[in-house]
Amino acid sequence: MIRRRPFTSLFLLLLLALLGWGWHERVNLQAFPDIIAAYTAKEYCSCRYVANNPAQYCLGYVKQYVPTSAFRDNPQRSEVTATGLGRTHTARWLGERQGCRLTP
Amino acid sequence: MVRGLLCVALLFITVTARAETWPDTDWVKGPPLSGSAVEALETYAFPARDDATRQGIRTDALLVIRDGQVIYERYAAPTTASTPHLTWSISKSLMATVLGVAYGDNRFKLSDPVARFYPPMKQHPTVTMADLLHWASGLDWQEDYEYAPLKSSVVAMLYTRGRSDMAEFAANSDSFSAPGQAFRYSSGDSNLLSAALKGMLGHKAYMSYPWDVLFQPLGIRNATWETDADETFVASSYAYLTARDLARVGLLMARDGRWHQQQLLPKEWVAFNRQPFAHYNTGQDEAVPGGHWWLNQGTPKPWPDAPADTFAALGHWGQALFIMPAEHVVIVRYGDDRDGTYRHNELLKRVLAAVQP
Repeated sequence: MIRRRPFTSLFLLLLLALLGWGWHERVNLQAFPDIIAAYTAKEYCSCRYVANNPAQYCLGYVKQYVPTSAFRDNPQRSEVTATGLGRTHTARWLGERQGCRLTP
Repeated sequence: MVRGLLCVALLFITVTARAETWPDTDWVKGPPLSGSAVEALETYAFPARDDATRQGIRTDALLVIRDGQVIYERYAAPTTASTPHLTWSISKSLMATVLGVAYGDNRFKLSDPVARFYPPMKQHPTVTMADLLHWASGLDWQEDYEYAPLKSSVVAMLYTRGRSDMAEFAANSDSFSAPGQAFRYSSGDSNLLSAALKGMLGHKAYMSYPWDVLFQPLGIRNATWETDADETFVASSYAYLTARDLARVGLLMARDGRWHQQQLLPKEWVAFNRQPFAHYNTGQDEAVPGGHWWLNQGTPKPWPDAPADTFAALGHWGQALFIMPAEHVVIVRYGDDRDGTYRHNELLKRVLAAVQP
């Protein structure tokens, strides 16, 4: 089998290794897509409502290589929502001392 | 005769009190730095800034205190003197300072097991408060930020799996070494300290404790310290202070934990902060860990151009609070360095050149 179909064999072996790695890292991989939306919502909220920096500056401040597909800052509620890699997260400003936190 | 002695005593008190300047509502302004050394400092710290590419050295704030007086202060927009700037991991040393007050109040001993104050640490029953303060819990933690986000414990703790209860997330780590035997820088260790403090004080007292025992006595009016969903202060990362307010903590440390006549932190606590961790190996990190502060000790010194008694609180993207007790100098540097071009040693070298007459 290996001698007759070397490329197919190699491909199957790599696929198997990838699946094994994916299973091994399943917890991390499942959480991974959340990072960009959560990071953007939380750090923008703090930049804007804790440090009181201008909105335009904060947008640049939280920019990462992975883009966000949606972003909304609601100043009335001091609430920031970001979407990236298919996941959406919201951070809210709670007060002078406690600053911003991601909502559950 | 008695009146004469009294007069002498009074004069002595007045003279010694005069010798020290302390910030009140605002800092006292000393003779400002000037000359070519200041230009050399500014050329390094404040080059033209490009917020689109975010390349190069990007200092947000630089504040130099000598003998309790401001001798240099400059900001880069939008940061100003009244911006509570994110300190990132400087927060860790701030938590150590808050813990110092609790230590002076006999709320814990360095040899106490953390599990006594924070039950989830019963999984690691022999980890002590001192081990956490040395970043030597032995817990298997990955501190990478941007470069290995999949495996990064700190990213998972702050933004995904750990964010609702960061201390519990850290406590659930496996161990890689016996406690107290090996240094591994860990934001998890810092948040476990925060949770232990909560256990000592109870939730209600804990929520105002940093303000009650540290910020207010120092005259710090604008401090924010974000919490996780379990209302534990994110001691690893999320304290916000103006540069001027962070310098007050620096002055407290420069003067061995004393604020005016009050010994806010026991001297032995500050000595512990400044004692190198015995099992640290040269080169494991950018400076030598003490008790949740960073030291300029060993050979070679981490910052060769700074005095050996320099110690610091350091944070991501170039945040730094430097204390040089013998020079009576405190330096706050806030930044937003997104690449590796900035060097603490180069900044310190140029500040010292500008400070020395």
